[in-house]
Amino acid sequence: MANYNIDAKKELTYDAIVIGSGISGGWAAKELCEKGLKTLVLERGRIVEHVKDYPTMNLDPWDTELRGGLTPEQKKKHQVSIRTNWVGTDTEHFWADDEANPYTEVKPFLWLRGHQMGGRSLLWGKQTYRWSDLDFEANAKDGHGVDWPIRYKDIEPWYTYVEKFAGISGEPLGLPQLPDSHFLPPMELNCVEKHIKSRIEKEFDSRHMIIGRCAHLTVPHNGRGQCQNRNRCSRGCPYGAYFSSNAVTLPAANATGNLTIRPYSIVQSVIYDDAKRKATGVRIIDAETNEAIDYSAKVIFCNASTLSTTQILLNSKSKRFENGLGNDSGELGHNLMDHTYRVGAMGKVEGFEDKYYKGRRPNGIYIPRYWNLDEKTKNDKFLRGFGYQGAGYRGGNPANIEDFGANFKDNILKPGPWEFFITGFAECLPYHDNQVYLNPDVLDKWGQPTLAIDAEFKENEKAANKQIQADAVEMLVKAGLKDIVGFDNEHPPGYGVHEMGTARMGRDPKTSVLNGFNQVHAAKNVFVTDGACMTSSSCVNPSLTYMAITARAANHAVSELKKMNL
Amino acid sequence: MDRRSALKKTGLLAGAVAMPSMLSLLQSCKNEARLTWKPEFFTKEEAKTIGVLVDMILPRTDTPGALDVKVDVFIDRVIARAYDEEGQQSMRAEIAKFNSLCKDNYGANFVDLNEDRRIEVLKAAEKSNGKFSLGVWGTSIGEQEEIGFYRSIKSMAIWAYFTSEEIGKNVLNYDPIPGDYEGCKPLSEIGNRWSLG
Repeated sequence: MANYNIDAKKELTYDAIVIGSGISGGWAAKELCEKGLKTLVLERGRIVEHVKDYPTMNLDPWDTELRGGLTPEQKKKHQVSIRTNWVGTDTEHFWADDEANPYTEVKPFLWLRGHQMGGRSLLWGKQTYRWSDLDFEANAKDGHGVDWPIRYKDIEPWYTYVEKFAGISGEPLGLPQLPDSHFLPPMELNCVEKHIKSRIEKEFDSRHMIIGRCAHLTVPHNGRGQCQNRNRCSRGCPYGAYFSSNAVTLPAANATGNLTIRPYSIVQSVIYDDAKRKATGVRIIDAETNEAIDYSAKVIFCNASTLSTTQILLNSKSKRFENGLGNDSGELGHNLMDHTYRVGAMGKVEGFEDKYYKGRRPNGIYIPRYWNLDEKTKNDKFLRGFGYQGAGYRGGNPANIEDFGANFKDNILKPGPWEFFITGFAECLPYHDNQVYLNPDVLDKWGQPTLAIDAEFKENEKAANKQIQADAVEMLVKAGLKDIVGFDNEHPPGYGVHEMGTARMGRDPKTSVLNGFNQVHAAKNVFVTDGACMTSSSCVNPSLTYMAITARAANHAVSELKKMNL
Repeated sequence: MDRRSALKKTGLLAGAVAMPSMLSLLQSCKNEARLTWKPEFFTKEEAKTIGVLVDMILPRTDTPGALDVKVDVFIDRVIARAYDEEGQQSMRAEIAKFNSLCKDNYGANFVDLNEDRRIEVLKAAEKSNGKFSLGVWGTSIGEQEEIGFYRSIKSMAIWAYFTSEEIGKNVLNYDPIPGDYEGCKPLSEIGNRWSLG
């Protein structure tokens, strides 16, 4: 692959600026570049070139000194992200420096960040599901939050468009609440999962269990290789088998010759010109030299990730926008959502001791939402719904076996017992008081005000979690599992890593920040197409929707530019 | 906490164990186990304790044992380089406690007990040391019991053993690039557990 043009020294003016290079920023860059716009992508961290900059992609445990363990210094640097237990030496370099980038937890909130080219698209879970009108109509129907300015029919062609390029594997099901994508062949369930699927679908009329729909290639696609079932995705995939900006969208943007990507560029603010009544550019701080530089462009796409985008907009103050760019409604920073997570059940499965699998499939099962779809499935304890992810595998903890010595050693060289778990993801309602705001009392390494995050799950989410656990236990009991443990780890928001909202789309500028094409109502050449734009949270993983919404908005931006409307 | 209840808690006082005479407990050649490597964190005595423990948990059979793949050396390195000072101090205190319980019960440090006594100590610890909760995606589920010193060393030993190159490549099933996923194969066609998680 050709090297990226990172020389933004001579040229300070572009057609378009994209802030951030993660899942949505990569799509914005690709679409704008392919439509002929000279595009500058501002990336706060370093360049990460596909394959070349994946230093750990082929390492075995014995290749690193602590076999995945972190030093006290690394733990301090990643003091926020290590709370997940997901960070090891294999991925440490893709998690942000939490010490240099503090934030304030007014209430507990886990904010996971990836500060490098590609952002969290290197680290994401790759579960990809379409949203439906059940989601886009939810606010209007039960009165929580404001109505989405779009419906499924508006975004459907853009789902198709991004799926065909990204490559989404899965099995069609024909469910209205979980529309089918354009699928590559599905990954395979193992024998225990197949067994449990048939039991659950027999015992429960309207419940389905399917292989996860995911952004992993099951066949070669658009010049990228298929998944080799190594399950080392978060180190970067040498085959380009999963969707990341680094492997997919940014190389496409680069191939047009229209892309400049500037690393180490911390966006301080979007510059608004009171006289021209539009945004004229972006002010950055060079993370290495602390130099402030202004870049100009006709359109600006904000894709810094949900909370970072909102932080930038709040920090973009002008005479016209004293409380942050586009904040006429006072809703900027409000209505933060995440999915509940880590509540469900697990148990042991007997009768398959003579079976095993080959390969480390980077995917699990999915049980689509079945509550509150219609009158028949109405649940009076909570609004909206939840879905489950899970998996069956041979696990167990050998250290728990009450034995030691020669027989014990021979025993633990064999695979452990079959286990199966499901964990729910419940929709979070948009609450005005779940919010973020600038905190001038805590500055980051570059002297910029940081975010204070004040958000919590409330009664509706807690009621949904109760149902998640009860249903999970019931399903595992009916599927014949043993030693079933129901659990609810009562995680605060953030652990789902599906933070959404804080600059929501809406029909009315008085109650929302963005219009139906993701334009800031009162600064139409500023687009927000990352998670900040979301008006409700669905119970379905959001990344595919970010991709579709971004491609749709970029198309609109170029068309409006051509009409001289921006 | 008084000593007797401390003993009960770690389970080293299994039932009414009569205090045997000192002589019968002490190994005839107690300094036989000479340390052949230089620990980063452990004292020589501590390193010997860990060495004897991991050798008892994972002895050499027709496959290599823990000491063959330097499990003790790796545990020392992890505590030296991955633990913060508090964790290190606590590990040191746990080893001392383990030895003092052996002394109270049998009159000698763990490494100086004969094999039968050591086995008694480990069997009691297996009963009393708590179990790890099962985990899902990095989080443990349900209430996590308190984990005793022996169980945590055992857990580290198994991790160190499985992730050593010799075991990971030649004893377990090593398949760095599986290619296709096959969800339902006869175990007899595969054999040992997969090496990479």
